[in-house]
Order: sequence, then C-alpha cells, then structure tokens
Amino acid sequence: MMNQSNSRRATGRRARRRTALLLASSAALCGGMQSAHAVPSFARQTGQDCAACHVGAYGPQLTPYGMKFKIGGYTDTDGKDGKLPLSAMVLAAFTRTAKDQADPPADHTHRNDNLTLDEASIFLAGRLSDKIGAFVQATYDGVEQRSSLDHADIRLAHTLDLGGKEAVFGISVNNNPGVQDPFNTLPTWGFPYVGPAVGFGGGDAATLFNGGLEHRVLGASAYAFLDNSLYAEVGTYRSLSPAVQSRTGQGRDEDIGRLGGGTAYWRLAWLQDWKKQNFSAGLFGFNANVQPDRVGGAPSNKYHDLGVDASYQFLGTREHVGTLYTSYIRERQTRNDLIANGEADNRKGTLNEFRINASYYYRQTWGVSAGRFATRGNRDAALYGDGYANGSPDSSGTVLQADWTPWGKEDSWAAPWANLRLGLQYTMFDKFNGARRNYDGNGRDAKDNNTLFLFAWTSF
Amino acid sequence: MMSLFVLPAARRLSAACVLPLLLSAAPVFAADLRHGEDVFAQECAECHSVREGKNKKGPSLFAVAGRRAATVSDFAYSDAMRQAGIVWTPAALDAYLANPRKAVPGGKMKYDGLADTHDREDLIAYLAGLK
Repeated sequence: MMNQSNSRRATGRRARRRTALLLASSAALCGGMQSAHAVPSFARQTGQDCAACHVGAYGPQLTPYGMKFKIGGYTDTDGKDGKLPLSAMVLAAFTRTAKDQADPPADHTHRNDNLTLDEASIFLAGRLSDKIGAFVQATYDGVEQRSSLDHADIRLAHTLDLGGKEAVFGISVNNNPGVQDPFNTLPTWGFPYVGPAVGFGGGDAATLFNGGLEHRVLGASAYAFLDNSLYAEVGTYRSLSPAVQSRTGQGRDEDIGRLGGGTAYWRLAWLQDWKKQNFSAGLFGFNANVQPDRVGGAPSNKYHDLGVDASYQFLGTREHVGTLYTSYIRERQTRNDLIANGEADNRKGTLNEFRINASYYYRQTWGVSAGRFATRGNRDAALYGDGYANGSPDSSGTVLQADWTPWGKEDSWAAPWANLRLGLQYTMFDKFNGARRNYDGNGRDAKDNNTLFLFAWTSF
Repeated sequence: MMSLFVLPAARRLSAACVLPLLLSAAPVFAADLRHGEDVFAQECAECHSVREGKNKKGPSLFAVAGRRAATVSDFAYSDAMRQAGIVWTPAALDAYLANPRKAVPGGKMKYDGLADTHDREDLIAYLAGLK
C-alpha cells in the first residue's frame, strides 16, 4: 500500500519529486491536508462573535460576513486600539482504522489506535494597518514532530464607492494556491475541515491544485469584489528554493521542483447574499509547468486544472443553519518528465475530483455533516503502480461528522477567548487506489482504511 | 414611548386578527415582536447586541428607542454619525434602516438596508421593547 508512512519513506529523492505532485494526497489527505483553522484574534479585533463569521461558531466555514472580512484584508475592526493580532490553536485526536496499517504511519506511532497531538499552531492573524492584514500560521506537527510555516496569506485591500456600489480591490501574497479564496468549496478550505493525520482521508492520487504545492510556493494575486457579489482574481506563483523550503520547515527532500514562468491561477465567482440565505457559483483554474529536477532544459510535467463550484447556505435566524457545497476539478496532465524517467506509460492523462457535502447546525452548537468524494483518472500502470490496483488512481467514499461547539457565541463563557470543538468523524471508502478489494496486492481492501477520527480542537 | 413603536405594527392588523385582538391583545403583539426579533437575528445580530453595554462591530441596541445617536459609551462612532444629530424616533429608525447610506452619508455601517416595510415596522417594535 502507498500509505503516509510509505510515501514518507519512499527511496530516491528524484522519484519522490516527480511523483509527489501526482500523489499529493499521500501526504495531504492522510497527513492532515485539511489544516485546521480558527482564529479568535479576528473576533477580538472586530468585537464579533465567532458565529458571525463562521457557520457552527468555529472556523473555517465562512458566512458571507466572514467572506467579506477576508476579502477586506482581515482589517475590519470595531475601532478600538490595542488589539494584538495573535492567536493559538491546538488539535489533538484519537484515530482508529478498520484494520491495522501495514506499518506505523509515522515514527512514534502505532499501526492502529493512535492518540496524537496533530497540530499546535500560533497565528499572526489580523489587522496590521488600515489596509493591510495577515493570516500567517506556524505549526508544530506532533505526528512528524517538526515545526513549519503553515498557511500564509498577507493582504492589501482598499474599498471604494463606485456609483453607490461598494467595490473592494486587493492583493494577496500567499504560499498555497486557493488559501486566499473566500469560499469553502475549493480544496484548501473544503470539507472535511479537519482530518486524520495518521488515518485515511482519501486516496493517494490528487490534483495539483489539491494541496500539491502548498507551502512550497510563493504567489501574488490581484482581486476585486464588486457590489458584494462579483468576485474576480488572477495571480501567479513561483516555487520556493530548496534552501528556503528548508528554512520554513518544509524539508528539502520533498521539494516539488521548479515552477515554470507561466504558472497562473484565476478565479471568478458570484455571491448572492440575501442575509437569510445565500448562494455562490464559480469557476477557477490553475496552470503550472513543474520541472522536478530544476535543471535548465530538463523535461517538465504540465498540469491544467479547471474547476467549477457552487454553494448554498441557509442562515435564517442562526438557530437552524444548513449548508451545501460542491466542486468538480478536471486536471489535464502532460507527463514529459515522468515519461522520460520511465515513471509513467502515457504522456497524457486526466485526473478528476468531485466533492459534495452538506451540514446542519442547531443553535450554532450541535452539528452534523456528510460528504461524498470521488477521484477518477486515466489508468497508467507505471504511474499508479505500487499500492494501486489496475493502474488506476480511482478512490471514492463518504465522510460523516458530528461535532459540538459549546462556545463562540455572544453569551459564551470567556468569549472571545475560549473556543472549542469536539468532533467525531468517520470516513468510509468504496474504492481506494483503484479497487474495492485487494488494492495493494497484499489483501488490503478499501474498507480496511475506514477511519474513525475523534478530535478535540481548541483555539484562543 | 412604547406605544409609538407598537402602532406601526398594529396598523397592519388584518381583519382575521381583529377577533384575537379583542380577546387578547398579547398574542398578536407578541407575534409581531417575535417576527421583529427574527428580523433582528437575520439582519442585525451579526454586528449588534441587545445586551446593555455589549458593543460588537456596531453599538449595543439596548434602549435604542428615543436615544440620541452616537451616545453609547465605549463605542467608536464615525464622525458622520456623531454629527448627524439624530434622535432614534420610529421615523428616524425607519429611514435609517431603509437606507443607512442615504440617512447618514459617510457612516460606517456596512448594510444595504431593509427594503420590506413590514419587516422594518416589526423590527422597530422589537427594538422599542429593549429596555
């Protein structure tokens, strides 16, 4: 099987670089790609409750108010000085898989029934000046037992009045394509918002846009939000050098390689906010040319990701809140480098990801969520070899979650300092890495990866 | 003062409401207030609290009825609101809720306005009871 442990220990730096992008989820979905975020410093800065910006009174699921706060560059304030833009967060979990894993998923862990400190983070999060704000996270990964720069998004935003309509123009400098997006439909901020670091959250294959470049690139984008409805953004990214990646705690060995000059990210979305309810619909795209060996003239792999997404939220009086999100990403790959190194059979291929999920929250406290995910792609026996069945990257399954968020409302104890979510999540697989049964050739079935994830998530 | 705020809601009582009104005014009045409370929860509660002394992005709306604008302590009002010279009568609240930017140009409340007349009436009635 190609589990987190195996991917981490894969031999050969070159091979790892080439395949890392196509197998992004081996470290991402199994390794806590859905990095958790909830930032009380925003609440202290604005005087708002967590529930004003977040469905379920806990991040990262944003209401329109929260979306506008993010688009506005994290600068909105209640007008009082002396607010420190600092927060902290801890996520601890118990993880059980249906069948013991072949090897411990990481050093210092067991083959099953792991109690882990998944993340301990500090944030620089909030207003730095009238027009500049930041969301920068540094995380200690208790599973890997190392610290690194996590999500970073620094913004400059300016609001204008255009013919009686509000228009926000901004720039984001960030280290992860999609981290700057205000909607919860793209992979970076999509459901599940927290996932097992030592279990299974999805198959091993993932699109480049789904976490393949996170924290190993630096990009800038310009965006506009017109009349609280039309959102448009365009940007580009460059890969960080191995030395910089090392300094930011990402590690040199898992360097993705060099991004070509034509790397482009774009986003177009419409938000219709009626206060009681709202919906959004959008398109997004990401094109990148990745050269794993960083040598001039060496072959590269090209990725063209195109996505469509939509969301609906019923907020009402906030006593009963329901949400529905969906997205579809189609990735076209041209694998020149992989072909040249015998790591793929086919020069061209596609990988598609579909997600849909819904949630219900009662009194912003009690929540249930359910989601479906499916990854489908062209078969390639070399690319999807070890750990895959039939040369297929296909995986699909269901995620169920129930959670309790006792604080984060106006009358909550110690608001806005104390925030807590306790949750129970269960991920069930129909198919894993190409097959329902014996996907790894050693008798392991997809359902053996079903993962129970019990988490305690607090921030202050 | 309370009656001033109840009247707008009472004006639109339909014939079907007359009998219950004769039997007991409370159920009809409560229904409107309840709707006003719902409107508050849907439209206002993100930024305003009804608790005394609890300022959020906007000032506390406890006892807002009849209050002079920009007088809640420990809240940073815009210059425009401070200089508006408004007293929050039902008419002033109605005008402000309908179109905040027009009522107080340069104010900092980011709200497009509550278009529905009945919603405004019930909301104002609810706010009048916050004492």
